[in-house]
Amino acid sequence: MTPHADPAETVVSLEGITKRFGSTVALDGASLSVRRGEVVVLLGLSGSGKSTLLRHVDGLERPTSGTVRVLGRDVTGLSGRALRELRSEVGFIFQQFELVPSLTVLENVLTGSLAAVRGPRLGLWSYGRAARAEALARLERVGLLERAYQRADTLSGGQQQRVAIARALMQRPQVLLADEPVASLDPESSDQVMALIREIAVDEGLTVICSLHQVDLALSWADRIVGLRHGAVVLDTETEGLSKAQVMEIYGRVATSTDQLAAIELELAGDAVR
Amino acid sequence: MTAVTERPRTTEAPLAPRAAPPRRRTSPERVAAGLTIVALLVASIVALRSVEIDPARMLQSWSNAERFFGRVGAIEFPPLAELLQLTALTLGLVICGTLLAAVLSVPVAVLAASNTTPGPVWRAAARFVTVLARAVPDVVLAMVFVLLFSLGTLPGILAIGLHSVGMISKLFADAIEQIDEGPRTAVRAAGGTRLQQFTAGVLPQVLPSWVATVLHRNDINLRGSVILGYVGVVGLGMEMSFAFKSLDYGLGLGYALVIFVLCVVMEIVSSSVRAAMLGIAPTGRGLGDRVVRRATRRRADGPSAAIVTETVGRAPAAPAAPAAPTVDAMLRRPWDRTRVRNTSWGLIAGAVVVASVLVCDIAWSDLVTVWGGVPAVAVRFWPPSFGSYEASTMVAAMGETIAIALAATLLTLVASIVIGSLAARNVAPSRGMRSGMRLLLVGIRGVPEVILAIVLIVVTGLGTQAGTLALALGGIGLLGKLLADSFEEVPAGPERALAATGATRLQVYAGATLPQGLRALVGHSFYMLDTNIRAATLLGIVGAGGVGYYLLNASQGSNYGAVTAIVLMILVTVLAVEGLAMWMRKVLR
Repeated sequence: MTPHADPAETVVSLEGITKRFGSTVALDGASLSVRRGEVVVLLGLSGSGKSTLLRHVDGLERPTSGTVRVLGRDVTGLSGRALRELRSEVGFIFQQFELVPSLTVLENVLTGSLAAVRGPRLGLWSYGRAARAEALARLERVGLLERAYQRADTLSGGQQQRVAIARALMQRPQVLLADEPVASLDPESSDQVMALIREIAVDEGLTVICSLHQVDLALSWADRIVGLRHGAVVLDTETEGLSKAQVMEIYGRVATSTDQLAAIELELAGDAVR
Repeated sequence: MTAVTERPRTTEAPLAPRAAPPRRRTSPERVAAGLTIVALLVASIVALRSVEIDPARMLQSWSNAERFFGRVGAIEFPPLAELLQLTALTLGLVICGTLLAAVLSVPVAVLAASNTTPGPVWRAAARFVTVLARAVPDVVLAMVFVLLFSLGTLPGILAIGLHSVGMISKLFADAIEQIDEGPRTAVRAAGGTRLQQFTAGVLPQVLPSWVATVLHRNDINLRGSVILGYVGVVGLGMEMSFAFKSLDYGLGLGYALVIFVLCVVMEIVSSSVRAAMLGIAPTGRGLGDRVVRRATRRRADGPSAAIVTETVGRAPAAPAAPAAPTVDAMLRRPWDRTRVRNTSWGLIAGAVVVASVLVCDIAWSDLVTVWGGVPAVAVRFWPPSFGSYEASTMVAAMGETIAIALAATLLTLVASIVIGSLAARNVAPSRGMRSGMRLLLVGIRGVPEVILAIVLIVVTGLGTQAGTLALALGGIGLLGKLLADSFEEVPAGPERALAATGATRLQVYAGATLPQGLRALVGHSFYMLDTNIRAATLLGIVGAGGVGYYLLNASQGSNYGAVTAIVLMILVTVLAVEGLAMWMRKVLR
């Protein structure tokens, strides 16, 4: 187990989170605590609860039971403006990028700043000059400045994910959540995107929680690995000095030590849900 | 790129129908649906006899018509200046009405869509507004507004505007429900408010479909403006009705021709706009869509093909050749092709809107003063009563309207199965036959049904025969096209299998194509019946039989209680048919 960090430095802390969707249990008493500046990877099969856990951190889901504390605030108790404020401090990167295909790249990035302004924004020029300049700078950071005025759907998958990263940065977040950010990308784009996230995390001192399913990638990329199974945390360890075989062993043993039939069933259920 | 379109959640959908157990076929609901179809077929045959379509008499009256046209002489037109002014007024009025509906439809659609509504009560209320607006004919609204405003363009604008809210908001709500929720979730995750989630995550996705719907509705409203003229809405339609009433058939037909040309031109324009501004390939069945499709196809082989290769070729070269752009330089959006095009379209659209409002010369103050007159007018419309008419006459007239719709649908169906099949690529014996049939269908679609009815009245005389034939002929353009498309879409496997066994062309059609297209055929026929019932209630206004005749009479005789009673009758019928059609679609899906 990880040595307990100074509580003042803990930015994300989940305690005994259980989440049920009808009769399915997505999270089963999961606990996790992440210190400022840490880069954590969540590993697990489809349906193991990685996405649901991330969505709790951003207040997109409310736990059936348990508490979620992010940046010193109790997320479960937040609503309205306070919740939106918290969300604006937490960036979220999605597997499918979730850009608006018909809008320009620049306008997609600008939507990241919506929480900082009041009311709706229609069109590029409804955002202030300063916001546009910042958005362009974010685009430059992800290497796509010259694409600013292209439609988002004219970009490749890897480029779209970089735009999504720029959008998240536009929020000036303290925490960055990434839900399978490279699962829809080819290996080369995948490496680019993961490297970019890591670089930005270091530059901006971001705390990152990222779900993945590639053990190799997780080992070379993360400070710490958290394994999820049945919606519960079954592995939580620093990557330093950890070998792939060790992870697989621990990970595999956890899988086989529980009722194997149930594990297979869960795997199937997870795939069906996906 | 494929990763963007292939969302994991779609994998569920194709599995569902396969998983359905086959014994669903014998459910009591499906038996009831089958019986309903048989009952409707029988009723249609009975109706066909009752509307007195008599080919022998028609041939006879055709010679009458020839003599009549000979006596009328050449088609006449009003002086050019007057014609242009009337055309501008008609277009302006229709565009203003459609715009009003476009604006009103946004809040209605947002409340009606399951993913944007604030609550189920709001949703039910919005859905109710949608259904009601669609069920109350614009002609009836115009009658009321003409009474309230007496003069000017406002009655027409409001009638078109309020009626069109039904269709536009229904289609807009459907579009909102079909969006990709991802971008919206992204805005939510970034801390956006509900309103921001809508404007940044939902609106950009549905805007193209909204614009397309509004343009499409504008075409429909232009066709409909003809009949509005009969109840006192200014424009070409009113002048045409005056000409016919004063038995000046040459001039009346002249107006009819102008309206026909205007409808075709408008359809071409709106198709071009849809294609150019939104990048939507015109797939519609209208004449305009066809022209645009042909024109753009030709262009694709020409200069624009070069443009495509140019932009594609430039993309990878760009970072290498010029110095990397700076943030400051990029703050100014370059006037590239897209921006020039978007700005031009925006300016043109703005100019059209301003011109339309100006040409309508709207008496804005009427909108304030009118409320004083509302109670007095409302009292005249309530309570509903048939007044001097016998209730049995009214019910019979409504029955006549239903008979016209049923008979017309049956005639359309029979003709469309033949023409539609011959227009389908996989059925037509030759390419020439297919093209010929497709062209025929397009030509039929171009003629507004009301114009068709008016011309037919001239040919066959007043009555149900003209109305039935007008609807039947007009319907072929729509149903024939829908059937041809459905036949072309059936899986080719069974056809190939039958052909491989040595079956004749007709055997392949009967054994493979028709059975596979049957479900679509039933669905399209019900859509046709639904459309025909709505249209049949109005055709009587121009003298083509049914309840519409009494509606116009009651309105012109200031017998407004009767207007209300007739409208309620129409409402019940239209809602019943719509309910039946919805149920059939659900059961037979």
